[in-house]
Amino acid sequence: MATYDLTSRIAPHLDRHLVFPLLEFLQERQLYNDDEILKAKIDLLSQTNMVDYAMDIHKSLYHTEDVPQDMVERRVDVVARLKSLEDSAAPLISFLQNSALVDELRADRQYNIQMLSERFQIGAEQIEALYQYAKFQFECGNYSAAADYLYQYRGLCLNSDRSLSALWGKLAAEILMQNWDVALEELNRLKEIIDSKNFASPLNQLQNRIWLMHWSLFIFFNHENGRNGIIDLFFQDRYLNAIQTNAHHLLRYVATAVIINKRRRNMLKELIKVIQQEQQCYKDPITEFIECLYVNYDFEGAQQKLRECEQVILNDPFLGKHVEDSNFSTVPMRDEFLENARLFIFETYCRIHQCIDISMLAEKLNMNYDEAEMWIMNLVRSSKLEAKIDSASGTLIMGTNRINVHEQIIESLKNLNMRTYMLAKNIVEPAQAAQAAR
Amino acid sequence: MASRFWTQGDSDTEEEEEEEASEYGDGSEAGAPAGEAAGAAAMSRYLKESGNASGSDESDSQRRVVKSARDKRFDEMRATVEQMKNAMKINDWVSLLESFEKINKQLEKVVRVTESEKVPNLYIKALVLLEDFLAEALANKDAKKKMSSSNAKALNSMKQKLKKNNKQFEELIISYRENPQSDDEGAEEEEEEDEDESGSEVEEDPSNIAISDMERDDEDEDGDEQGESGGAWEKQIRRKDKLMDKQFMKDPSEITWDLVDKKMKEIVAARGRKGTGRIEQVEQLTFLTRVAKTPAQKFVILLCVIAAQFDVNPSLLGHMPIYVWKNCVSNLLLLLDILAHYPNIVVDDSGEPDEHETQKGADYKGTIRVRGNLVALLERLDSEFFKSLQCTDPHTKEYGERLRDEPLFLVVAQNIQDYLERVGDFKAASKVALRRVELIYYKPQEVYDAMRKLAEQRTDGAEGDMEGAAASQAADGSKGPAPFVVIPELVPRRSTFPESSRNLMDALVSLIYKYGDERTKARAMLCDIYHHAIFDEFPVSRDLLLMSHLQDGVQLLDIHSQILFNRAMAQLGLCAFRAGLIAEALGCLSELYSSGRVKELLAQGVQQNRYHEKTPEQEKAERRRQMPYHMHINLELLEATHLICAMLIEVPNMAAHTYDKRKPVSKTFRRLLEISERQTFIGPPENVRDHVMAATRALSKGDYQKAFEVIKSLEIWKLLRNKESVLEMLESKIKEETLRTYLLAYSSCYDSLSLHQLTTMFDLSEAQAHSIVSRMMISEELHASWDQPTRCIVFHNVENTRLQGLLFQMADKLSILVESNERAFEARTGGTLDGLPTRRRGENQDSSSLGRWQENFITSSQGRQSGGYGGRTGYGGRSGGSGQAGGGFAKDRSGQGQRGAGGYSGGYASTRYQDAYGSSGRTPYQAGSSLRGSQGESTARMVSLSKGGRV
Repeated sequence: MATYDLTSRIAPHLDRHLVFPLLEFLQERQLYNDDEILKAKIDLLSQTNMVDYAMDIHKSLYHTEDVPQDMVERRVDVVARLKSLEDSAAPLISFLQNSALVDELRADRQYNIQMLSERFQIGAEQIEALYQYAKFQFECGNYSAAADYLYQYRGLCLNSDRSLSALWGKLAAEILMQNWDVALEELNRLKEIIDSKNFASPLNQLQNRIWLMHWSLFIFFNHENGRNGIIDLFFQDRYLNAIQTNAHHLLRYVATAVIINKRRRNMLKELIKVIQQEQQCYKDPITEFIECLYVNYDFEGAQQKLRECEQVILNDPFLGKHVEDSNFSTVPMRDEFLENARLFIFETYCRIHQCIDISMLAEKLNMNYDEAEMWIMNLVRSSKLEAKIDSASGTLIMGTNRINVHEQIIESLKNLNMRTYMLAKNIVEPAQAAQAAR
Repeated sequence: MASRFWTQGDSDTEEEEEEEASEYGDGSEAGAPAGEAAGAAAMSRYLKESGNASGSDESDSQRRVVKSARDKRFDEMRATVEQMKNAMKINDWVSLLESFEKINKQLEKVVRVTESEKVPNLYIKALVLLEDFLAEALANKDAKKKMSSSNAKALNSMKQKLKKNNKQFEELIISYRENPQSDDEGAEEEEEEDEDESGSEVEEDPSNIAISDMERDDEDEDGDEQGESGGAWEKQIRRKDKLMDKQFMKDPSEITWDLVDKKMKEIVAARGRKGTGRIEQVEQLTFLTRVAKTPAQKFVILLCVIAAQFDVNPSLLGHMPIYVWKNCVSNLLLLLDILAHYPNIVVDDSGEPDEHETQKGADYKGTIRVRGNLVALLERLDSEFFKSLQCTDPHTKEYGERLRDEPLFLVVAQNIQDYLERVGDFKAASKVALRRVELIYYKPQEVYDAMRKLAEQRTDGAEGDMEGAAASQAADGSKGPAPFVVIPELVPRRSTFPESSRNLMDALVSLIYKYGDERTKARAMLCDIYHHAIFDEFPVSRDLLLMSHLQDGVQLLDIHSQILFNRAMAQLGLCAFRAGLIAEALGCLSELYSSGRVKELLAQGVQQNRYHEKTPEQEKAERRRQMPYHMHINLELLEATHLICAMLIEVPNMAAHTYDKRKPVSKTFRRLLEISERQTFIGPPENVRDHVMAATRALSKGDYQKAFEVIKSLEIWKLLRNKESVLEMLESKIKEETLRTYLLAYSSCYDSLSLHQLTTMFDLSEAQAHSIVSRMMISEELHASWDQPTRCIVFHNVENTRLQGLLFQMADKLSILVESNERAFEARTGGTLDGLPTRRRGENQDSSSLGRWQENFITSSQGRQSGGYGGRTGYGGRSGGSGQAGGGFAKDRSGQGQRGAGGYSGGYASTRYQDAYGSSGRTPYQAGSSLRGSQGESTARMVSLSKGGRV
């Protein structure tokens, strides 16, 4: 099932530290050889400061107690740098730790900087040191400290580029700490900056958007309101363009989001269009499922794809998250996806049929006859479905839902009156106002 | 090559012979000489060799034995001249007129055989003779009166014809008159003498020879020795050359930089003056290059040589003679050699460098600035190549021969580009890269491979004869009297083509995207799109087109780029068709066909317009724009593609809206269909259009087999590389559309229809049929639903009554009315109400829809004009001269200047194709693009080829 694994395509758009959860997941799913993943982890860590962790992995990978020399050296180096950075940032940090003093800070940035430099001899240098220190902390895996420092740094920083990097850093730290609410806030802030900022080249902006979308996957599939959020974000024109230009694999998440979100069914049309356009560039069972169902009306194929989808979802780090509930674990995304997908199939099927055999339906829906009958009955009762069950012949007879011609015409003419009225009002009012003024 | 004789005696035969021989002697050109012409060529080669063997002796007697085709032609001509002379004696104008026409025809043949632009002097002589005699006859009024009526008539027509005819050869006649040969001697004798003269000159006039092949050089050396020892030859040297030779043949050591410089200035100053032979100038300068004292001077003189070579052909329509072109190529390579060898020479076209800059010798270390522009030279070279292809009949051997020179040009271009990149002038390099791109973009991989092989073969073959490039190099480097500056051959004489043309394109195009200016980039982009389309990469090329926003700005580009755009669109359409994307293909092609001026839009031929004549200038301009034949997109294939796409979409559409003719998808197709339906008797299909119409008839009856058979019988399919798969695709599409048409047309007759019956009727699998029918149900085209247990379609007949249908139409019209009311209101007040963001938005949309309105207005007014009412105004709007007025007219109405005054609407008959892409709403492309474009973000791209974009 590794064919549909997107980790290698997603990883380049993520921060090193953000790739870790993905690798952890892969390790758990055992899609790849354990050793391979461990090696990948060491690779990943080689550029960070989490040397101790790297050493541990090295030990478990090669089953030795020895650690390569360069790791040891690097550790010494890291500790030394940590010290020096700590020293240079110390004055500011000690100031920030004193809550009484922090209270003196005001909303005015200029004022704060002036006050700091006058009363505490904390200048631009120290503020810069704070940024470096925060970054270093982040590299060391100390995310909460990094997040705190970056937050405070943003309050004092004047350089907008730096501020943006700090925001990215903060977002990463919050994601890694799994503070989804805060992370969502940071995400929105970042999005606003990206959309409003003047980038050197459009290409840069595009890249930033793609990063943002990738990072947001962590949030959207964990935050409770993420399902609306992901659709809101990804279906914005610019972001959809970005997906189609350079990040086709994100279509999987868009498609999944649309399927599991009952309230955003109206996006389906747009999604189908996009999927069709990009079918040469990207294809996986989830997009194929939609294509089967809504382009080819191939219900057999859709069933087939649905089965594949299940595997894909289980193996996807974002979608296949387990939830431990008392003593059995479920994959909520999978369950929802399957449920909704089944409903989609059923709905489309009913739309084009007049008379359906329930036993066949049950088979298609992976249910037994009674279950299916119950299920349909519930749908009929909750008036989601205009149909009647013919129990004797075991069929479901759909009600005709054609709109009356009169209704159609009246419908199409109804708002004309209103529009004309508004128009007349708009014309008359300024004229009257002008007359009154005269 | 033998050009130095041009202004001299009647040495044509000899001269042509030699040129020919040297060319074939190279072996490079000889490629695959076939047929009669080849035989003649081989023969002439033989003749040449025999001539060589006998040295300067008269070899005429030998020649009489075996006559080459060329000789035959000349003999014929000579005989005609004799006839004319006889006719003159008896004052028989009727036979004189006949002979005159005969000689003109013979002239054509002679020119064709000798493969040159040059008119034989024999002919000129005859003209002069005629002219004189005519003048005499006209002067003699009495004699004129005495003439018989037929004779007088012939005299008059002769007068007019000769006048017209002589205009073409004015120059030659003048030069002939200035330098008359012994014309009272017999033709035979004369020729002998000519040969004698030229024959001796070949050997004894070495100073002039700079460009020639190895063989000739040996000869030259002989001649040299002879010249130095004998000295008797001097009296035969012509006046001008004599002067030069006296100056330069003395002693190499006596020649100074000043002397050469002075001479060069003298020659250059004579440029364009009356009586200055253009060819002669080239020769003189070429000679000077050999005696140049410093590399820089040599460089400058070479630049002059090239400029003079470009001057050889003064007309805008004609092209420069091919051998001059080849020489020019070798000179350019020589320039590059110098530049490679002396990196301190800097070419610059800004500012006037010091007069004596070139005096600095080869050992001078500092930079030497020289005025010149390599890119301009290359571009000129390219356009000459292009022109020569335009002028050549594509069905002759010459055309193929000429095409073989393409690698040669690519070599120069590559070298210049390398040089410019080395120097760091990337902007210029991108221009050169564009020229290369434009020679490659239209080549499918097979053609590209052939070119690559040809280029390789050429170098594998006889070493050192890249069309005399290397030969002249050798001549320059090792032979000749005194090449003071020896330049080793540094620049590679063969180009290195990458394995796949895609790689080459990518490399060139990325350079252009990085450094090129707007026009260069746009053109490169179009070429790139075209190339991707050829390689069946529809998504890539579509994305490129949409991302580049090219359609928004085509009408602002120059005409050539617009043609390129049209070509790219056509190719994209073909590509979409091959990929089975019918709707997309129609979207690309329908605008092209809506005007009925496909040939014109693609610059693949001139179309006569019924309603107005073009002015000669317009016609000339159009002829200059024509694409050479090998770059053409097959029009039949294009038409078939367009019509088939239209058929597949339009027929079900027609079936669905039988009573409602409002919304034709393809008006062109509808019109054609109407025409064919009006015919009382329908014969078997002949052309593409007939075929498609026959298929349409079958399709609308539900007979998919016949429809496919008819389509399949088209000849053009063999042009496709993946013929099988395309036909397969076509068959399944036709089946599908037949099924749809059948259901739409006959659903009212059925209450239910079993799936099984459908599958047998249309030879479809159950899944396919099910899917097609389901799609129709969902999109509410078909009011029916499945009965699952019995696998039947149950139709719900919801046929509206006539009254209801009319009501629907009224409702539609009412809502259109309200909409236009609102729009009018917004147009009036929209501008004044600012501040409200929602308002602004409305305004934005409004302006685009406004554009569409006015566009419609224009088209309707145009339609009226071309409808015969205002032939004059329509004419004015199209003619080149008053193009401004026409453009202005359009501009006033459109208010947004979308058409741009002049530009395309000026010289070009119709802007509609572009316009439609450019203005709002007309095509699916635009609908997306205007919206996206307003975001002002170049990475944002429109993704939709289908209606309305994604909004």
